[in-house]
Amino acid sequence: MLKVRLIPVLLLMNGRLVRSAGFDTHQIIGDPLHEVKRFNEWNVDELIYIDISRDGGGFEGRPDHKVGGFADVLETLEAVSETCFMPLTWGGRIRSISDMRERFSRGADKITLNTAAVDDPALITEGARIFGSQAIVVSVDVKTVDGRDQVVTRNGTHATGLSPVEWARQAADRGAGELLLQRVERDGAARGYDLDLIHAISSTVSIPVIALSGVGRFEDYAKGVAAGASAVAAANIWHFKELADRQGKSALARAGVNVRL
Amino acid sequence: MAVTYCTRCVYPSAAATPLTFDAQGVCSGCRVAAQKQEIDWATRWSWFEETMNEYRSSSNYDVVIGVSGGKDSYYQTHVAKQLGLKPLLVTYHGNNYLEDGEYNLNRMREVFDCDHIIVRPSVDVLVRMNRIGFRLQGDMNWHGHCGIFTVPIQIAHRYKVPLILWGEHGFMDLGGMYSMNDLVEFTAKHRVEHALRGYDWHDFTDEGLDQLGRPELKEGLRAKDLLWAQYPSDEEIASLGVRGIYLSNFVDWDGHANAELMTELYGWRPAQRPFERTYRRVSNLDDMHENGIHDYLKFVKFGYGRGSDHSCKDIRSGRMTRDEGIEMVRKYDHVKPRRDLERWLEYVGMSEEEFDVTADRFRDPRVWEIVNGQWVKQNIWGGKSAYGPVAGEAAKVPA
Repeated sequence: MLKVRLIPVLLLMNGRLVRSAGFDTHQIIGDPLHEVKRFNEWNVDELIYIDISRDGGGFEGRPDHKVGGFADVLETLEAVSETCFMPLTWGGRIRSISDMRERFSRGADKITLNTAAVDDPALITEGARIFGSQAIVVSVDVKTVDGRDQVVTRNGTHATGLSPVEWARQAADRGAGELLLQRVERDGAARGYDLDLIHAISSTVSIPVIALSGVGRFEDYAKGVAAGASAVAAANIWHFKELADRQGKSALARAGVNVRL
Repeated sequence: MAVTYCTRCVYPSAAATPLTFDAQGVCSGCRVAAQKQEIDWATRWSWFEETMNEYRSSSNYDVVIGVSGGKDSYYQTHVAKQLGLKPLLVTYHGNNYLEDGEYNLNRMREVFDCDHIIVRPSVDVLVRMNRIGFRLQGDMNWHGHCGIFTVPIQIAHRYKVPLILWGEHGFMDLGGMYSMNDLVEFTAKHRVEHALRGYDWHDFTDEGLDQLGRPELKEGLRAKDLLWAQYPSDEEIASLGVRGIYLSNFVDWDGHANAELMTELYGWRPAQRPFERTYRRVSNLDDMHENGIHDYLKFVKFGYGRGSDHSCKDIRSGRMTRDEGIEMVRKYDHVKPRRDLERWLEYVGMSEEEFDVTADRFRDPRVWEIVNGQWVKQNIWGGKSAYGPVAGEAAKVPA
């Protein structure tokens, strides 16, 4: 049986890592590299790194800090991939095949699409044809809008009218290798994953579903697996607790989940 | 990008504690402070009691508390004693105590009936670290940040006491780095990245400075000089399960209230002599430079100082209006603290000119510009002002 992967997600905003809540409240956690170095020392299976900058994307750094700034997002990616010893998925502001190529050439192992995949679903197919399905992750953000669950894009601000299950099926059919599934309302809420959503999506598609948003306790991971996720991810909790890798993995193992210890 | 200011407190956007701003221009520090009003503190306290009970020991200390001897140290110890715990008090002593601070520190083992370990590094090593810290990062007090965030963990590991009780989380309190719902705990990552600005003890050795490409800063320090600065490995932390929790996640933390209560209950003493750079007399008694030239360097770097920090705290807790805070900024932030500066220059054997020239290398270009040989910046009360000449030939000296 395949081992369940435990994946930290780092969110980059204007050149610095942030803590996020509800996709609209952000607090600066630190520079783009420190946490990556820490993950190298830890038992982490993969890393997902998403640029959620609304503008610019660079950060000048500080003359009194050891880690300086980076002019833009691509320069940040290059430094992250040089630092990072684990498989790296990069997302944010990828709108075309050439954007994808740029990310791969700077060290990303996979890319994740959100807005562009909905705006132009053919991009999934084209990306998978050129780079392979294993390299294309479609990120599905779900939010309740007008009383029903819809896929949202543009950092969670734009309701598409698409049903999450329908969209997940379409993304898989078009060649996505994995889905990264988020529930906007649970982002930063620390109330656990949306298990019904995970179940609905993972029982619809045969590709791996990575559960994200809502983890508040390490025990939440195993519930995501039980609901059907192939990999469990979280962002915030990695920033707040010491040895979040071991604590997460041992909580999974205690619940009987097969993980790489 | 021009510096903007929080619309509720007085923090500038280019603050040392990283801030974000919401659509109303309110900073993350104020937002997190406001969150505290919605917390059910009775529930939080019950969580705290549960956690402390998990760590009660039949034969060992129950908890390590890192104490400076300040109002908050007293408060943390007071809370632990109230729960009937046996704390082990641990202090990093960086050789910069104010007399009142030392008095408070030395009384802790009397008034609390506690064992107290005070770690005092070699003064010669400290002087060298003061110089390296200042020349490398514009911060002579780096040794203090390192000691405070290393020594209690080392002692916890050596004495096999897995729980450490911290007071408030500085970056969360000032800048709102985390949410009150995160129940943030102490991490080695936070220590290096924020408390130590990315540097660690090794960077202060000759070997480390060679690796940094700064051999001119070498002071002859070796790893063996810095044993107190060496953080335990992940394996050591994991094997004992060392965990550091912040009391400010579980009680409605208020520094002023702590000071008043501790004075009343235990005869804790605020600074008897006013500080040069702030109106507040109850903070930083463990290190004279914290409110002195260490803080003056924050003004040199980012254009603000303790006048702003303390006003922000007092505005958020309702003790001060924003306008009153701005008056404090105006009065204190720019002051070059003569008394404190002279002590330090003599302590480390440096000229004031070298101090000024070195300090100028850390000016943040988002904040400062040179106009007619003067450092000029924007003011929170509007307009721009000059804050003294560019030092020596600083403008021509490569960084």
